[in-house]
Amino acid sequence: MISKELDRAGFPVALISAMYPVAEQIGASRIVKAVAIPHPCGDPSLPAEMDRALRREIVTSALKALETEVETTTLFAPKMAVSS
Amino acid sequence: MAPELAGKRLELLREVLPRVARVAFLASGRDPDGRLFVEEAQAAAERFGMQIQPLVIGGPEEIEGASQEVVRLISPHRPDVVVAGPAFNAGRYGLAAVEICRTIAERLGLPCVTGMEPENPGVGFYREYHNEKVFLLPTGESAAGMGRALSAMAVFVCRLAAGAMIGPADREGYLPRGIRRLERGERSGVERAIDMLLAKVESRSFVTEVAMEIWDKVAPAPPLKDAAGAKLALVSTSGVVPWGNPDRFKTYRNTHWQKYSFAELKSLEPGKWEAVHGGYNVAEMNQNPHYGVPLDALRALEAEGKIGRGKLYPAYYMIPGNQGSPAVMRRVGQEIAADLRKEGVDGVLLVAT
Repeated sequence: MISKELDRAGFPVALISAMYPVAEQIGASRIVKAVAIPHPCGDPSLPAEMDRALRREIVTSALKALETEVETTTLFAPKMAVSS
Repeated sequence: MAPELAGKRLELLREVLPRVARVAFLASGRDPDGRLFVEEAQAAAERFGMQIQPLVIGGPEEIEGASQEVVRLISPHRPDVVVAGPAFNAGRYGLAAVEICRTIAERLGLPCVTGMEPENPGVGFYREYHNEKVFLLPTGESAAGMGRALSAMAVFVCRLAAGAMIGPADREGYLPRGIRRLERGERSGVERAIDMLLAKVESRSFVTEVAMEIWDKVAPAPPLKDAAGAKLALVSTSGVVPWGNPDRFKTYRNTHWQKYSFAELKSLEPGKWEAVHGGYNVAEMNQNPHYGVPLDALRALEAEGKIGRGKLYPAYYMIPGNQGSPAVMRRVGQEIAADLRKEGVDGVLLVAT
């Protein structure tokens, strides 16, 4: 809901969320797939170094999303290592 | 909901359905307390002499697999009706309940009943699926309404099990699914339409027969030409606030946002920040607030020139996002947008839990 209002006001928004099906359904425009609800930007089961790299990858995807022209709801998937 | 309430839920279920023998228990594998929930439920099931089947899933990408597993477990028992929830205002739970109902209705052809608050995000999926075998009953917003919700669901389940014909939503009390059926009326469509038109012209109230779903569509804002040259701001609904929660955010249904400065910081030190949010287990967020406010990554990208130096707005916007009503969140979004404009921000990263 917040992201839609920001879009409406003309600000491109990268919505980083693990609940991306809900984000798609409410019609957010640029959605970045996050890791999990309790830890969207990273994964505590990874070693600290990899966790930081994953977070950097997610934020980088969000920046790319902001630079991408989209017509409608679009899902951006960061490259994630498979987590347990 | 606290893990110790897992047993209470089984107890209530047994009050409503005294002969219940087997119960499936859906738990989150990503919740550090997920195992506790399952253990509490198992202990309670043993006390009541019930069999319990725990189903543990992680995130939305696992819903499909988990739904298949539920179908596999349910089909040999040949039930007449399947019940999921009630989920009240728990959005993540509501979504799971609707997904499972849909899968069971599609694969096994069984009627399914779920319950949740009308503003639960699961309701949107339910409407979208238009599945004529899935019924969603409205409930109150919290488990305080468990007794009433389960009674209403039980009555509905019994009618379905008895093979009763279920009429339209406004008569039967379930939420509308957008399914239209032909009906023979007393008066012709022409007469009814003219009545409505006259009522409209005379400013009298009338009820349409073809209700339109109003989807508020927003066109995506134009992209940034170059993120490295743009002024960026971070908004987060994760609930991460300075330690001590100075603005007294609640764990749910917040109505106001705040800005917290990270101007001088390279990272968020655990112990100086805490997560205030009732919708997920905050243990991991407290240990590493970057999961909700990824300042370390933003600073690293700033050092590499991928975010312009001094271009990251020096504070983040926060409202813990749990159970916020859509109307409040719309207003909060508008207020934040006005502030972003005043501060000359070009683009936004929004982390939502």
